[in-house]
Amino acid sequence: MLRVLLAKDLLRARRNPLPWLINLLMPLCMTALIGLAFGGKSDNGALGRIRFAVVDEDRTVLSDFMRGAANQREGGKYLEPVFLGRDEALRQILDNQLSAAVIIPTNFTRNYLLGSEKVSLELVKNPAESIHPAVLEELLGAVVTAMNAVAENFQSDFPELRAVFEGKEDYHKVSELIDRAGDKLKAAKNYIDPPLVSYEKEVPAVESNDGALEGGGTKSGAAKSAPAFNLFAYLLVGLAGMFLLFLASTGMADLHREVRLRTFERYHTLHQQLLPFVAGKVLFAVVMLLLSGAVMLGGGGLIFRIPWQQPAALALLVLGYAGFAAGLMAVLVALVPDERRATALNTIAGMALGLAGGCAFPPQQLPAFLREHITPRLPSFWFVDTARALQSGGADVPWLLVTLKLLGLGMVLIGIAVMLFHRRFRQGLRA
Amino acid sequence: MSLLKVERLSKAFGAIRAADSVSFEVRPGEIYGLLGPNGAGKTTTISMISGLLKPDAGEVFVGGKSFWSDPRQAKRIMGVVPQELAIYEELTGRENLEFWGRMAGLGYGEARSRAVELLEALTLTDRAKDAVKTYSGGMKRRINLGCALLHRPQLLLLDEPTVGIDPQARLNILEFIRNLRASGTAILYTTHYLEEAETLCQRIGILDHGRLLAEGTLAELQERLGGDRVFLLEADFKGASPEAWDGFLQRFRVIQKTERQLVVAAIGTRDPSECLKDLLGLPVRVENVTLKRPSLNDVFLQLTGRDLRE
Repeated sequence: MLRVLLAKDLLRARRNPLPWLINLLMPLCMTALIGLAFGGKSDNGALGRIRFAVVDEDRTVLSDFMRGAANQREGGKYLEPVFLGRDEALRQILDNQLSAAVIIPTNFTRNYLLGSEKVSLELVKNPAESIHPAVLEELLGAVVTAMNAVAENFQSDFPELRAVFEGKEDYHKVSELIDRAGDKLKAAKNYIDPPLVSYEKEVPAVESNDGALEGGGTKSGAAKSAPAFNLFAYLLVGLAGMFLLFLASTGMADLHREVRLRTFERYHTLHQQLLPFVAGKVLFAVVMLLLSGAVMLGGGGLIFRIPWQQPAALALLVLGYAGFAAGLMAVLVALVPDERRATALNTIAGMALGLAGGCAFPPQQLPAFLREHITPRLPSFWFVDTARALQSGGADVPWLLVTLKLLGLGMVLIGIAVMLFHRRFRQGLRA
Repeated sequence: MSLLKVERLSKAFGAIRAADSVSFEVRPGEIYGLLGPNGAGKTTTISMISGLLKPDAGEVFVGGKSFWSDPRQAKRIMGVVPQELAIYEELTGRENLEFWGRMAGLGYGEARSRAVELLEALTLTDRAKDAVKTYSGGMKRRINLGCALLHRPQLLLLDEPTVGIDPQARLNILEFIRNLRASGTAILYTTHYLEEAETLCQRIGILDHGRLLAEGTLAELQERLGGDRVFLLEADFKGASPEAWDGFLQRFRVIQKTERQLVVAAIGTRDPSECLKDLLGLPVRVENVTLKRPSLNDVFLQLTGRDLRE
């Protein structure tokens, strides 16, 4: 019977797919909008290289040095400077080809070394981007801080340095300058090394082929690192968590239509037990949620080039979550006889569960009380947290336990919904 | 033996008594009409018979067995056609029939062949593959009726199956129901259309405010008025009191009295011309007298003091 009920509902959904399509496309569009607004690129989900212009209007050795430093070593991995004139740089920013332009103004080196006038570097940011220009601004701030520190400590050497940059000094003087600079840095060594505050990235230990544990990447360069943080994956999992609830609401709201159309009643004139009918609708909702999950996460993965780390575990987790979502919405439908009120309540419940469960915002950003006492108890949090943990490459993520918990909860909710419907029928079921 | 027996069935929703000690029975090959205005308790009664509502008191026997002793068996015997169109508009007529056939316990092949049979019987074969939402009101009603017949029920409960359709579509449905009856199906038919009850049903129960006021064949109900004819007098009856007219209430039964109309039936077997002479001699200036056969509406009028058409 479940197969017949499912076939009927799938046929009806195929003939009227609009409500499903809206809820299906929303998370994909939102992921794209939010991801692109925050500058996320689809290549491995990392921020990508920051393309910016360096406009050197000073044309001195120091400005050449600054130009060259921008794409050396580590900088080359993340920065992609192009050297342009001011007009061309501004044009390319307007065309959205550049994230920003750093302008080294005329007489920058001269004024810096004279120390007589305040000097400034100019940064023109692309208003259509947010992350990349902000990163450049921070970097430029660091450069300015360093240049200020140099100016403070090496001011006495500036006249000679100026002569060097202007090509008036001989190499003996240059070597003396380097020697003196070395002495000053040696004196400062005690303050710099060891640093008072340090940061160390933790790399999980990975078992190598010979069974020995390797960790920290210190002894062996072959140590496997965790997958890079992927903004699109993070967003998509969260939004999927919320929109699967809305889709479950769409699926289970069909029970309201069955009540309104009297088809539920007609079924009851043929069968005494209501469980098969409600279970059939839950099965339909679960199937639709699985299809939607596949479109959202699978299709979204292809669109945004997200390499899902454990797709099978993620699929089972979606199954568990679908069971829970359908059960929850069945209870809400059974509780509220009025279709319009129930739709509003379901939407509010979906949004509340999504927001408080960390689907839309990172759970760390939620208010303390919510974060500590409510969020961990929400099934929506169980789902997104586990899915995100799976995606971040965690080896010991308890996804199976979470899946079973979600499925178990879904079954309990279905049982409650059936009881509520029996009670409503006894009292005279009306839409 | 009756296929459906209802004994002192009662149901209240708060202070409203939707069914009050309703009793009747339906025999195989009989159409029993439950006639009453909207809100009389017809749908509540059908809901209790079909197990959708549990009665507060009373019993329903289907095929000689109490419904609640074995609801599954009772539901297998009966088919229910709800007043509303309980069908899926997105599905085609054939898909609807096949689905409800499967729900009624038929196998895939049987449901398919039965759907084809019913589409033909309901003269819907040419529209079988169209979505129900493209059907006319009458066609939807026919599919709604057909969905209850897939499993060949011995007892059919029809809750106002012709509401809101045109006369031709109504005639088609009534003809189809007559054919069902001819094949031996017992039918409980609720309606508020007098003509349907008069022309279709072998026995009629008159229901009002949850109470079965009278039941019997059309002739038996007409007999309650005291004969096979009633007189309709038109005059200014404002201030007139039939009780005060000399011997009037011994010779006539007042069915209805308004300011402009008086409906009466003669008591005993009297010649119509004699009755007419009596009526023209009343102390009011009679403008018009009509002699007619009593209708169910007259019976309803006599029982409730209200017109069923009101």
